[in-house]
Amino acid sequence: MHENQPALLLRGLAKSFDRPAVDALDLTIRPGEFYALLGPNGAGKTTTLRMVAGLMPPDAGEIAIFGVDARRDPIGAKRITAWLPDEPMLYDKLTPLEYLEFVAGLWGVEPRLAQSRANELLDMLGLGAQARQRCEGFSRGMKQKVALAGALIHEPKLLMLDEPLTGLDASAARQVKDILRARTQAGCSVILTTHILEVAERLADRIGIIQHGRLCAEGDLAQLRGRAGRADASLEDLFLHLTQENAGADWRQAQSGAKAA
Amino acid sequence: MSAPGSFLWFAAHDLRLALRRIRAFFGKSSPLKIALILVAALAAFHGLGYGAARAVFEETGGDIRQIYPQVAMVFAFILPWIVSQALTNATRALYSRGDLDIILASPVSARTVFAARGFAIAMESIVSVAIFLLPVADMMAWRFGLNWLGVYPALFFSGLLGAALGLLLTMALFRLFGPRRTRLVAQILATLIGAGFALGLQGANVAPAHLRAMIAARLGVAHDGGAFDIDGPWWIPVRAAAGDPTALAIFAFIALALFALVCFTMADLFAHGAISTVGASGADARPARSQRAFRGGAGASLRRKEWRLITRDPYLASQILLQVVYTMPVSVVLWRAQGPNGSVALAIAPAMVVVAAHISASLAWLTISSEDAPDFLATAPVTRGAIERAKLEAIVGPLALLFSVPLFLLWLAAARGAYMTLFFASCAALSAALVNLWQPSPGKRGDLLRRHSQSKVVAMIEHLLSLLWAMGLALAAVWSWWALAPVALALLTLWLNRPKRAGAPFSLSAA
Repeated sequence: MHENQPALLLRGLAKSFDRPAVDALDLTIRPGEFYALLGPNGAGKTTTLRMVAGLMPPDAGEIAIFGVDARRDPIGAKRITAWLPDEPMLYDKLTPLEYLEFVAGLWGVEPRLAQSRANELLDMLGLGAQARQRCEGFSRGMKQKVALAGALIHEPKLLMLDEPLTGLDASAARQVKDILRARTQAGCSVILTTHILEVAERLADRIGIIQHGRLCAEGDLAQLRGRAGRADASLEDLFLHLTQENAGADWRQAQSGAKAA
Repeated sequence: MSAPGSFLWFAAHDLRLALRRIRAFFGKSSPLKIALILVAALAAFHGLGYGAARAVFEETGGDIRQIYPQVAMVFAFILPWIVSQALTNATRALYSRGDLDIILASPVSARTVFAARGFAIAMESIVSVAIFLLPVADMMAWRFGLNWLGVYPALFFSGLLGAALGLLLTMALFRLFGPRRTRLVAQILATLIGAGFALGLQGANVAPAHLRAMIAARLGVAHDGGAFDIDGPWWIPVRAAAGDPTALAIFAFIALALFALVCFTMADLFAHGAISTVGASGADARPARSQRAFRGGAGASLRRKEWRLITRDPYLASQILLQVVYTMPVSVVLWRAQGPNGSVALAIAPAMVVVAAHISASLAWLTISSEDAPDFLATAPVTRGAIERAKLEAIVGPLALLFSVPLFLLWLAAARGAYMTLFFASCAALSAALVNLWQPSPGKRGDLLRRHSQSKVVAMIEHLLSLLWAMGLALAAVWSWWALAPVALALLTLWLNRPKRAGAPFSLSAA
C-alpha cells in the first residue's frame, strides 16, 4: 500500500448485465478526498461500488486501492476498505458490541483496541445505551448507525457508502455527516452515492455525475457550474442540466448511428 | 360472487392466500409439474391406502366395530396435529402484518374478519392430513362400504374443531405472555404438540404387549358409557367418520358451535391483539448480563457468531432438536424388526447416524445458506475457503454437545459399537454439511423447516446419504463385508455432487 497513490483508481471498468451497467469507467479519488458519486436511478453507481468492494467481478478494467490491485490481491484491498450498503447488513440476535467484536475479528483488529474503538464509536453515534441490547428491536436508523460503526471500527483507508443517509432522521443524519467529515479530515478517503444532493453539495470535495455507466461530468461545484455555464446554479439544477444534456447527446448519437446503419 | 366484506368474500380471500402459501412449498415448479406431482402422490397414497384397507379387512373381517379402535387411534393423533397447525397459522395471522392493518382499519366487523381467517386456518391445517387420510378413506369406502366416505365431513369438522382450539390456545397464550413473547411460546408449543403426534403414531409399537391386550379386552366388554364404550360420547368422531349420520350431525354441531363461539367471543381480542403486535418483534430489550472482553481471530469470530445466533433462537433450537424426536420411531422400527432378542444398541446406533446427518444438514443450512449478511462477509479480508471452514467448524460444537451423552451411554453398553457409531455419524454429518455447502439454497433462518422447498434434489441427496451411512453402520455392526457397498455408494454420491465452480468471494448473491 502506498500513501501517495490514488485512494481509488478505476481504469476502463466495465460490467454488463442485459445492457452495459458500467461502461469503461475511469475515475480517480485522491487520498483524504470526499467524493460524491451522483447519478439517476440505474446509472451504475451501486454496481461500481460493488465491484470495488469485491462483491462482483468486473467484465474488464482495473481497480486499484492505494496502489493495491483489487483484482489480483482482493484480500489486501479489502483489508483497507469498508463498504456500507443502503440496507444495513446486521445480525438481529447480536448486540452492537458483539457485532463490532465480530467485524473487528474479521479485519484482524487487536481485541483490546477494537473494544475501546467500539465503545467510542457507539458513544459517538448515540448508541451507548443500546450497546448491550440485541439489534432486533432497533429502528432502521439505529441499525444503519451500527452498520456504520462496523464500517469504521477497522479504520479503513477507503470508505464506500451507498446511500448512507437513507432512513435516518435529521439528528442521526447530522451525526453521520459529522463523523464522515471527521474521518476525511483524519485522512480517510470517502466515496459516497446519494440522491440527497444537499449532502453532496455540503460535504463533497469533488462530485462525479454518472449516467449510463459513464462519467459525464466531474469536478468541484465551481467546475461543474463552469461546465454547465451557470454561475449561480444549485447542484440540483446542475445535476438535472448535465444529465439531460448527456441523455440528449446519447439520443443524438443513437439517431446518427441508426441513420448510418 | 359473494358481496365484498362478507364472510364468504373474506374466506375466499384468505383461502387464496393460504393456497399461495401451500404453492410456495413447491418452489418455482410450473403448475403442470405441481399437478403431476400431486397426481402421482395421490396415486401412491391410494396404493398405500389399498394396502392398509386390505390389512384392516384381513384383521377384522370387515366388522365395523372392530375397526373403530384403529380409527380412534388415527383421530387421537390427527386432532393434536390439526391444533398444532392451527396454533402456528393463528400466530402467523396475528403477527404477520400483511393485509390485516388495512382490513382492520376498514368498516368491516372484526367478527367477520376473524371468522373468515379462522376458517382459512382450519382448511390450511387439514391439508397435510387430508393428503394421507382421504386416500385411505377412499379405499375403505371401496372395500367396506360408502359409509366410510364419512371421513370427508368428519375431517372437515375436525379442522373447524382444531382451528377453534388452536385459536383459543393462541389467545390464551396472548393473555398469559403478552405480544412480545406469545409468538415464540406458540411456536415451541406447536412444535411439541406436533411431536406428540409423531411419537403417538408409534405408541402402538412401543406399548408393552400386556397394555395393548388390556385395552383390547376393555374395548370388547365395555358398555358402560365410559372412555372405552364404543357407543359412548367419546367415540362420536369415530362413529362420524364411519358414516353414522347421528354421530356426524352431533360432531358437526359441536365443531360448528365451538368454532362460532370462539369467533364470537374472541374476535375483538384478536383485533386488539393484532394491533398490539405492532413493534413487538420479540426482541430481548433487557441489556446483556455483561460484555466480556473482545476476542480476536477471524475464524473464532465467525464460529462465535454462528453459535450465538443458534443459541439465541429458541424456536430454531427446538426445530433442530425435534428432528431427534422425529427419528426416534426409526429406532423403534429397527428394534422391533430384530425380534424379541433384538439389541437396543444396534437399533439406536443407525438412528443416531440418521439424526447426526439431519442435524448437521440443518445447522449447515443455517450457517451457510441462511447467512444474514453474505455480502458483508464477502467484503471482509478473509478468503471464501476460510469462511466456509469456520462455518463447518461451527457445526461441530453443537453436534458434539448433542451426541456426547448418548455416545457415552452407548460406549458403556458396547464400546466397539460406540466407536463405530462415532465414525459413521461423523461421516454422515460431514456428508450432509458438504452437500449444503456445495449446493446452497439461500433462505431466511425462520424457513428452516421449509428449506427443501427450493431444491428437492438436495433433500433427496441428504436423505439418501443419511440412510447409506446408517445402513453401512448396521452392516458393519454385524461384521458384514456388505457394509462397504453403502459406504462406496455414499462416497460416489458425494463425488457426483462435488462443486464445479471456481473459488469466488463468499457471497451467495454473487455466487
